[in-house]
Amino acid sequence: MTERFRVIDAHAMLGRETYLALDADELLRRMDAAGVVTAIARPMGSGLVVDHRAGNDLVLKAGPRIRGLATANPWWGVHALDELARARDLGAVGLFLDPARQGFFPTEEVARPLFERASNYRWPVMVRTGLYTFADILALVEVACKFPETPFIAGFGGYADMWFELPESFGKVENLYLDASMMWGDAIREIVKTYGASRVLFGGAEPRNRYAVNLRTLERLELDESARRAILHENAARIFGL
Amino acid sequence: MRIIDFHAHLDGWWLDKPLPSAADLVAILDRYDVEAACVYTVMGFYGDCPRHNEALAERCLSQPGRLIPFVTVDPKLGPPAVDELERCLANPLFRGVKFHPWLQAFACSMVKETMVAILRAAAEFDVPVLFHDGTPPYSTTYQIADVARWVPEAKVILGHAGSADYTDPAAQLIRDIPNLYGCFCGSRPGDLVHLVATAGADKILFGSDFGAGGGWELLPERIDNVTEAGLHPVDLAKVLHANSERLLKLRERPLSSRPAALQS
Repeated sequence: MTERFRVIDAHAMLGRETYLALDADELLRRMDAAGVVTAIARPMGSGLVVDHRAGNDLVLKAGPRIRGLATANPWWGVHALDELARARDLGAVGLFLDPARQGFFPTEEVARPLFERASNYRWPVMVRTGLYTFADILALVEVACKFPETPFIAGFGGYADMWFELPESFGKVENLYLDASMMWGDAIREIVKTYGASRVLFGGAEPRNRYAVNLRTLERLELDESARRAILHENAARIFGL
Repeated sequence: MRIIDFHAHLDGWWLDKPLPSAADLVAILDRYDVEAACVYTVMGFYGDCPRHNEALAERCLSQPGRLIPFVTVDPKLGPPAVDELERCLANPLFRGVKFHPWLQAFACSMVKETMVAILRAAAEFDVPVLFHDGTPPYSTTYQIADVARWVPEAKVILGHAGSADYTDPAAQLIRDIPNLYGCFCGSRPGDLVHLVATAGADKILFGSDFGAGGGWELLPERIDNVTEAGLHPVDLAKVLHANSERLLKLRERPLSSRPAALQS
């Protein structure tokens, strides 16, 4: 289906991690094939966990159609904050954290300076959710309550079995958004129906998922035009300041 | 493109939510050209397995030749669980065994003696045993894979081939343990590429988890996860159909398309 608005992918991944690999050229090819105009990308693999400068450069220097979420491991302390400042100068549009890969609870004191920095920069924060312990989706909810002006995006939406905690959380925290890149259709429908399409972001989760899968998932929901526009374009444009 | 769904559910309810009927399930299978689906209880994971096994068989008999029931027993009961398993598997309608250790509240290591007896019985009947996997505390992919080593003659299936977070461990374990297989059920195309490349297309089977909530859209979405992986056509056919046909012995024992009475 060709959309009458510019489709934005809110969650792509660049780099190499275990069995996944994607570079900017291949992402652009996949975007073109799917009719995606802009992708918001974050680093994966070593660029996510330890080598932030390389990871952030990968997503921040990928060209005008790929915008970057910067990452830094909170355990790097002041060096993490320095890296976020560098990333902002390079045009980062938000912060990405992966508590499971980077090894912290979002509620730990060590992470707080990064959330404060994102708030100061007026960045949205996407946090990988779904793994038990560190990536507990309710840990993200606790942090989102403490920073009510900052949009928090539940990366992967708690996929798979922590999804069950998300609908209730949306009722408690207005600054919480769903990254739908790994979610099944009925889960997306429930959030749209209960809390409105303004809380949901289309994502591709390339290279783990495929645009074609997620676009068809949205089509089957038979959402009205305004909801489709919100999910596929407007919400991302607003939250990431595009 | 032939499709057999190796992982679906059929029950009246899940907790307080009604689930699709057998007729509803088959109508959706028809819409997406799925020949047959292996179906498991949901509420039977919480107790009274014999009653739920009977109910599951009756529901399947209402749609002859399309729904393949798997037995669920409670290994915490000890020998009576083995008795119930053998009672059900004596009925040729049942073609496999399903466990959900997380919902059933046991780690296999806690009930090892009974689980070994169950796996040996399943091996004697030559039916596969599928376990939910990919979630702690009782169903990590490592925990389930270890069970396959206890009884090498049993065919053990990781019910989600690692699910969201254990894809790479699943791929390695399926590759390394001869009697371990993976049901690709819920993960995404990039995960399937890795599973097939590492473990081989002969050991990966398609499943949807359809029927336990999630709406009718779950089935086509889960099929999309397979078809969008870009597998070689030969491998695609193995994952979608041929491997299930082999493990379920559908060539040797075709599904009856005629209504039949429940045997006990």
